Amino acid sequence: MIPHPPGGAFAHPVTTGIVVATAAVLALAGLAILLLSRSGRAGPDLRRELWLRWGSWCALLPLMLGPVLLGREWTVGAVTVLSLLCYREYARATGLFRERLLSAMVVVGILAVNFAALDHWYGFFVALWPLTACLLAVATIPLDRPSGYIQRTALAILAFLLFGAGLAHLGYMANDPGYRPLVLLLLTAVALNDVAAFTCGKLIGGAKLLPATSPNKTVSGALGAVVVTTTLVASVGALIFRGTPLANPVWLIAMGALVSVAGQMGDLLLSSIKRDLGIKDMGTVLPGHGGVLDRFNSLLLVAPAIFHLVGYFVGFGLLAPTRVITGH
Amino acid sequence: MDRWDLRPARDLGLRPMERLRSLGREAGLVSLATGGLWRRGVRAWLRAAHGFRVEGRENLPASPPFVLVANHASHLDALALSAALRGAAARRAHALAAGDLFFANPAASILSAYAINALPVWRGRSRRDDLMTMRARLVEDGLVYILFPEGTRSRTGTMAPFQPGLGMLVAGTPVPVVPCWLEGARDAWPAEARAPRPGRPLSLRIGAPLHFEDAPDGRAGWQAVAAAAEAAVRGLAPEG
Repeated sequence: MIPHPPGGAFAHPVTTGIVVATAAVLALAGLAILLLSRSGRAGPDLRRELWLRWGSWCALLPLMLGPVLLGREWTVGAVTVLSLLCYREYARATGLFRERLLSAMVVVGILAVNFAALDHWYGFFVALWPLTACLLAVATIPLDRPSGYIQRTALAILAFLLFGAGLAHLGYMANDPGYRPLVLLLLTAVALNDVAAFTCGKLIGGAKLLPATSPNKTVSGALGAVVVTTTLVASVGALIFRGTPLANPVWLIAMGALVSVAGQMGDLLLSSIKRDLGIKDMGTVLPGHGGVLDRFNSLLLVAPAIFHLVGYFVGFGLLAPTRVITGH
Repeated sequence: MDRWDLRPARDLGLRPMERLRSLGREAGLVSLATGGLWRRGVRAWLRAAHGFRVEGRENLPASPPFVLVANHASHLDALALSAALRGAAARRAHALAAGDLFFANPAASILSAYAINALPVWRGRSRRDDLMTMRARLVEDGLVYILFPEGTRSRTGTMAPFQPGLGMLVAGTPVPVVPCWLEGARDAWPAEARAPRPGRPLSLRIGAPLHFEDAPDGRAGWQAVAAAAEAAVRGLAPEG
């Protein structure tokens, strides 16, 4: 169990701190863009781009943080919606959406694994990964259309593992009564990780990280993000996990580095998919960002990685009621 | 290792409203589900309110692509033709509808795209590129087009001459054109009425498919296709 003081959504000081800090950063960013616009040093295109991004964040942050503050069911529900939106973009980009039956099965798998999270039934939650993979592997056999079998099955299983099984870990965390500060930390840390990589890359410059995969990323940006994110996650993590076996500098730093590395890996994973397809953005839903996946790619691998790290030392919801829907 | 055949959706990267109006719009699970529900609702309505009957269903090609052409006197026409289709043909059927009416605003666009599965044709300014896109998609994506080559709803019930646009879609391709005659649609929902009038009978007669593989893909060929389709549709009209 993650330690948590009694009380409502804002009982933990870290929860309050993250929400206040996020709002403050958003306000400051708005002010900075305003000053930049007034100074006349930014061209109209850059101004428009900055305002679009800022506006998207203003809409997005309440949708991300709100459900976490509202409670367990809201969190699992929001993660489910996020999974489905991510899958939709992936399916349309890869062409998997044309496989009607298989696509419906991926959706069923995503709904099932999130239901297991909502039910707080860990056995079913983990059983669903191989079970769904098997279901996806056999689903199109009765169509008697072996041509393209490997491609469509592989695309479907990758989709389920990334957007279903992977992201569902974030929702499952809400089964621990003390989930709020941790989930909020992950949501904000992966965003900060992106910003840190971008800023350090611009300030320091230098060698490209993987130019064929993502031409704008630099080695200095990647390392800078690791330093910034690790520092932040380790310090806030020390407050969240005080008194648990995880509250040890070595493990806290490992956790911070894991958030940063897994976050950047998720980003590069999506870049690889986009490069292979020859497209720039996965969608157009978020002005200034692209698609939902372009924004949330960093969470895909962070959620399961941190889940198991924290699970190993602390555990999730070990004293909370299990099988709250299917139990008797 | 060879590259996989990864084909992003034709409408990828379009903003939501642009996508609804795009000729490259491809249906996902949500569109298929809403379209399926809409078709079932329309079929039930046509049966219950207009005693809708279909004659000559065996003339429909076994699988897409094909083009359905018919006389046009009512908004019920496209609904009736799509209600007569089943299976893959029903899912892949696009009614080619007047953009200025069916895609005039976001609400109309959502209904036209998600329920009717219409593709917009812009009267007077449909460009050659648009027709070429539709021609290519018909074969590549195995679609069904529901088309009223008169170009507009008849106010009198008399069928107007067919426009050559039909020819531009199919001349020189193996795609069959299926002539249809709708009887009773003008009484059931005339152009001047706001809503259909229940109790008026509606029936559809489907004729044998026409093939234009050998028709030249040029002005003369397009005119010939339109004339042949017009004659076939007129031939299905009841005597008198």
